[in-house]
Order: sequence, then C-alpha cells, then structure tokens
Amino acid sequence: MSAAHSLPVSLRDPAARGRVTALLLACIVLWPLLVVAEFKPGALFDAQNLKVTGNFLAAFLPPETGHEFLGYLGRATLETLAIATAGIALAMLLAVPLALLSTRVLNVADIGPGPGQGRAALLHHALRALLTVLRGVPELVWALVFVRVFGLGPAAGVLALGLTYGGMLAKVYAEILESGDTRPARGILEAGGGRVQAMLYGLLPGSAQELTSYTVYRWECAVRASVVMGFVGAGGLGQLMDQAMKMLNGGEASTILLTFLALVLAADLFSGFLRRQVGNAGTHGRVAGVGAGSAAFIGLLGSAVAASFSYLDLGLAALFSRESAGLIGDFLRSFFPPDLSSGWLSKVAYGTVETLAISAVGTLLAVVGGFALALPASGRYGSIALQGARFVLNALRSVPELVWATLTALSVGLGPFAGVLALALHTSGVLGRLFAEALQNAPPPPRDALLDAGARPAAAFLYGTLPEVTPQLIAYTLYRWEMNIRMAAILGFVGAGGLGQLLYFELSLFHYAQASTVIAAMLALSIAVDAASAAIRRRML
Amino acid sequence: MLDGVGLTHANGFTALNSVTLAATRGERIAVIGPSGAGKTTLLRLLGAALRPTAGAVSLLDANPWEMSAPELRQLRTRIGVVHQAPPLPPRQRVVTAVLAGRLGQWPLWKSLASLVYPLDIAGAKAALAQLDLGDRLFDRCDRISGGQLQRVGVARVLYQRPELILADEPVSALDPTLAQQAVRVLLRDAEARGATLVASLHAVDLALTEFPRIVGVRDGRIAFDLPSTQVTESLLHELYAAEGAELPTLANEPRFPAHAVDAEAPLPGARCR
Repeated sequence: MSAAHSLPVSLRDPAARGRVTALLLACIVLWPLLVVAEFKPGALFDAQNLKVTGNFLAAFLPPETGHEFLGYLGRATLETLAIATAGIALAMLLAVPLALLSTRVLNVADIGPGPGQGRAALLHHALRALLTVLRGVPELVWALVFVRVFGLGPAAGVLALGLTYGGMLAKVYAEILESGDTRPARGILEAGGGRVQAMLYGLLPGSAQELTSYTVYRWECAVRASVVMGFVGAGGLGQLMDQAMKMLNGGEASTILLTFLALVLAADLFSGFLRRQVGNAGTHGRVAGVGAGSAAFIGLLGSAVAASFSYLDLGLAALFSRESAGLIGDFLRSFFPPDLSSGWLSKVAYGTVETLAISAVGTLLAVVGGFALALPASGRYGSIALQGARFVLNALRSVPELVWATLTALSVGLGPFAGVLALALHTSGVLGRLFAEALQNAPPPPRDALLDAGARPAAAFLYGTLPEVTPQLIAYTLYRWEMNIRMAAILGFVGAGGLGQLLYFELSLFHYAQASTVIAAMLALSIAVDAASAAIRRRML
Repeated sequence: MLDGVGLTHANGFTALNSVTLAATRGERIAVIGPSGAGKTTLLRLLGAALRPTAGAVSLLDANPWEMSAPELRQLRTRIGVVHQAPPLPPRQRVVTAVLAGRLGQWPLWKSLASLVYPLDIAGAKAALAQLDLGDRLFDRCDRISGGQLQRVGVARVLYQRPELILADEPVSALDPTLAQQAVRVLLRDAEARGATLVASLHAVDLALTEFPRIVGVRDGRIAFDLPSTQVTESLLHELYAAEGAELPTLANEPRFPAHAVDAEAPLPGARCR
C-alpha cells in the first residue's frame, strides 16, 4: 500500500461509463426483441379476450368429478407414467452402449497411441455427432413425426422420449465417466482388459451413484415431457387436456391441471427419495454381492418397466416387420431434400429470430416475476406470505410451458406473445424457487450489521444481501434462458409463434421438405445454444 | 449505561452475569480479557444488537428495548460498530461498502440512487484516506487483503459519524504499526466529535498505552474497571491466568485473518462461547 500514495484516484466512478454503455446496449437489443415477440401487454386487457378468458376460467369451478371422466383421467395418468418409464428404459438401452463407445477414457487405441487410433477417433466423432442430432431435436418434434408413422397413441411418445433422452443420457453418462478418476480404468486397459471390463471394474464403482442419480432426475423430467407430448397426439394426460381445451371445457381442464400439479409434485418427491436412497446405498458392506433389499428393489424396478410396456401395448414388434420398415423408409425419404429456396429460408430465419425473441423476453419477465415472488418465499414477510408464495411458485412451475401456452393463447390470441407469457409463467415458478433458496442461503452478517446501524430493511437488503447473491441469480437466469430457447422452439405447436408454429403447420399440410428445413434450423439452434452456454460456463469458472 | 445486565443464551450458557458499566459522553474505554470472556457479547449489548435477559440497558440516554421500532432504528443510526470480521459482501466495491455506513440516515431514494452511481465519493475517500486506503476506493472487497478489509470496516464507521463507536477487536488482522495507527484514527475521530468509544482489544499493551480507561472482563463478569495508570501487572496476569504466563501484546498476539464474511462465519450466538 505504500506505493499507493503516488497514485491519485479520481473522484469520478470509473465504472459509470461501462454501466451507461451496458444500459444503452440493453435497450438497443431489447427493443427489436419486444417488437419481434409482439409484446403487447394491452392484449391481456382487451375486452373480447377478457370475456373469453373470464368465461373459460369461470367454468373451472367446480372441477369435473364425473365418474366416467375420472375413469378416463385415471387411465391417462397411468398412461403418462408408463410412457415416461418405458421411454426412460428405452433411452437407457440406447444410451449405455453409446456412452461406452463414445467415451474417450475407455479407448484402448489412445494408449500408446496404439493401432487403430484413426478409426477410433472417427468412431468417437461420428457417435458424438449422432448424439447431438438425437438430443438436439426436441422430443416433441420426434413425437410429432412418429405420430405420422404409428398413428395417434403412446407408441410415438415412448419412441420420442427414447431417442431424445437416449441422446441426452449418453452424453451425460460419458461426461460423468470422464469426470471421475479414470486411472483405474486405464490400468485395466493397460493390463489387457476390454472396454466393458474396464468400465465395470474401473469406472462404475466411482460413478455409479452419480449415474443413477442423473437417470432418476431424467425420469422426473420424462414425466413432465410425457404430459406435454399428448398435445401432439402421443397419448396420456396431454391428449386429454388438448381435447378439453379444444372444447373449452373448463371443468375438465381444471381437474386435469390439478392432476398435473399432484403428479409433478409426487414425481419430485419420489425422485428426491430415490436419490437419497442411492446416496445411502452400499454404506453397510455386510453382504457379498447384491443384498436382499437391493435385489428386491431391482426386481421392483424391472417389473415397473415391464408393466409399463405391457400396459401401453405398443406393438413395437411391428417396427421390425419388413412392411413397416419400408413404410418408415419411404416416410423418412420424403423429408429429403429439404426445401432450401431463398423464400422459405428467410421465413425459417425469421422463425428462428422470433424463437430467440420469445425466449429472451419470456425469461426477462420471469426474472422480474420470480424475484417478486422469491422475496416473500424466502421468508422476508412472515410465514403466511412464505406459504402463500411457495404455493404460487409450485403451481406456476408444475404446469408445463406448453399447457400454459394453450391457456395464454386463449387470453391474448395466437402468436408469439402467447409464447412469451407461457414461458414467463412457468419460468417464474422455477426461478422464483431458485432465487428464494439463494436469498435464504445468503450469509446474514452483512445485512445484520447494516440493520444494527439503523438501516431500513430495504436498504440493508440492497447493500447487504443482494451483492452476495447476484452472481448466483445471474447463473440461474442464464441456465433457464438456455432451456427456454429450446422450449420456445416448440411452443408454436399450440400456436404460440416461432419455429414450432412453422413446423406444425407444414407437417399438417404434409409439406415434408419444408418441415425438414425447420427441423434442421431447430437442430442448428440447439447446437449453437449448447456451444454458447459451454463457452460462457468456461469463462465463468 | 449497563446496570446489572446479564445474558443467558437459549442453550443455558451464561455469557454475561450482572455486569454494570457506566460511561460518560466522550469517554474512551478499552475492554480486555481472555478469549471467551464475554467481550463481544458486552459490545453487542451496547450496540442494541442483543437484548439482555436480565438488567437494564441505557444507550445515549434511552432504553432501546422500550422504544418503538422507528425510534430504535433512529437510535441505531447513532451507534457505529467495527466488526472483527468485516461483514462486507465480497463483490461489493469499497466505495459502496463505506457509503453503506450512512444508510440509516439516508432516505431510501438516496440509497437506491447511490447503487447506480455512488453519491458521496469524496466523503468515502476522505474516510478511507485517514487509513491510507484512498487508492482502494473502486476496488472490490474480495480483491483487497484481509488487513485492508478490516480497515474498510473502520472507514465505514468513520463515515457513519456515530455518537457511540463500538469496536470489536478492530485491528486483529493488522501488523503492530498499522494496528496502532488504526486505533489512533478511531480515538482521534471520537475525540474530535465528542463521541464515546468502547473498543475490545486483544493486545494489552495497545489498550494500556492508548486508552485512558480499561475494563477487564473474565468469565462473563467485570474483573476490574480502572484508569489505565492503575492497572498493575499482577491484575493482568490474574485476568489472563487461563492463557498462560505471557500476556497477549501487539508483538505476540495471534493474527486472525480477517476476510469478508462468508457462509461459514460463526453465528452470533456461537461466537459468544
């Protein structure tokens, strides 16, 4: 600090110029986004829209409790769970070999490097590309495509989940395997062991828990996804909801929404329970091999998967008949070549920009809404406000974006603004919960010291708590934005603008060449988001 | 100011036992004693940050625990605390951390505006300059050393200009020269404004040479309360009997690394033990 005396410090804030520039830049970027997303909050209060929404919401009470309907509902709920379970089973079947083959740490040719290194590298990159395509196309798009092949019903949903989640699981499995201690596996490979042996004896012991935990988390996501896939005709609760919405049957819609709420919360709890079980597993090493409890558990899981497949009666065997294989081949061929005419390309480009705008504006609104709800949900205004805010947050996030979109499309009309609102509502619930946790975990001493010096609670929050949590809030927001870009791409299936609306439209007109361009654009968008978020994360770490 | 005050924590631990301590305006008092004697608890009671379980507290001629909430807030704006581990958010800039000293006096709009552009840069700089930190004005709190951070905490209280300054081991992270300098800055500030200063110090020699009045605390009780000229060697050895033969001084006192408070900082209750 002695050298410091010579350095004069100006009395002007050196950060001010940067702040002003950032603010101006934000306005310049935000303005066109608002225009593209057709941000018109006035539409919410349009007399005609208010009337339609009001009538529909009024019909929510009382919820439909007729015997016949509850029967349908029960079957649809079971179907949703079965789709999720069967889909995840299929995804694992796909992911395990793909992960084994694509992970670098199990590559014998890398040792030395030995013979066949070029071939191994080629295989590695080809598999990674395949995984990118599998998970880059949203499951809803796969479902929409499979519905054309297999007709309406759960088969399309299961296959769609299997493909997308297979790609995701394979990528994350490979990452988990690579992130742990890889020396044991390397040792086995160097001692002449095979890929599978090195995996089982070298990698699995260290990473089994994380692998299982991630799979369970994905199952939870699959439950939500399978609800949504019903909207394109892939069975389950979504299909029922779609019908109720189309007939503007408020009573049925409210019963279905309540079922969503219960189902999502139950899946949340169950997956948390499973993950805790996995965390505790194997801590008492008293039995050689698999103990009775674990054996029973594995048996239960196996029968749950078997029951799911038999309940759905997918008729997947037909997939392997020569006749249907030919049909599928013809269908796939009709997607090629994609329509690359400049007129269509510019339309797709605009759809991409619209998708980005929807996701950005929706996420920004959600930041505001989520923060406003996080303040009471973190316990700042007493326990009644806390319980109330928690309930609202849970309700907001348990209704999937696509379901929100059907509701918002009703209240502001079809178009991108409906998508913005749908994203904002669901994401408010998610971000609000994360923000509230961050606020609760913020270290209290800075705030308390300010309160002890007589600062107002609001000022103490701004100077003592907020600076502690800002980086976390920004990280959560970026992470959600990334997910919302993918989501915005498919919200259009229910008429909420963006690429999804283009795709839905072209597919229903059997314009497969055009549809394939849109799918390619979705894939490109997804890959770009992946790369961008990876780059941002690298810089933040 | 304190009359027969006691504090027993919910877990049954008695941190202070019928302590009586009176100070006149403008007095400068050093509180010394071994670790865990109750020095921090005593200061927190004086700062109206803890409510005593027995006895009465009177701060600046008022009983804080009989006031309405707005009155208590007004009273607290007149009391400034220097913490041993400065409670500053790591990502906050030094200028903002110092200006936060006057949040209690500023209206809300001013607190908000100052987050966008610091409203009293000159004031913050003047406070920091007294501690040779004027050049750190626009650094972030996690980019400066522990010793510098502790002096930022001192600068915040200088900027607050309270009538009662409470300093809890304010120089524990500073080397002997800087420690003496920082304590003198606090004393000079208190003297110039006629403010009362109560500081707990680990270094006995610093307390004896700089403060006119010394309060020795041990096991939650006041062991002695004397002018510094009357504090004898034997009194001190008795006070620190539990800590061995050597008295803690500036030269040999253990340095506590002061750093921005993080999630692992001890809870206020836990610190009194």
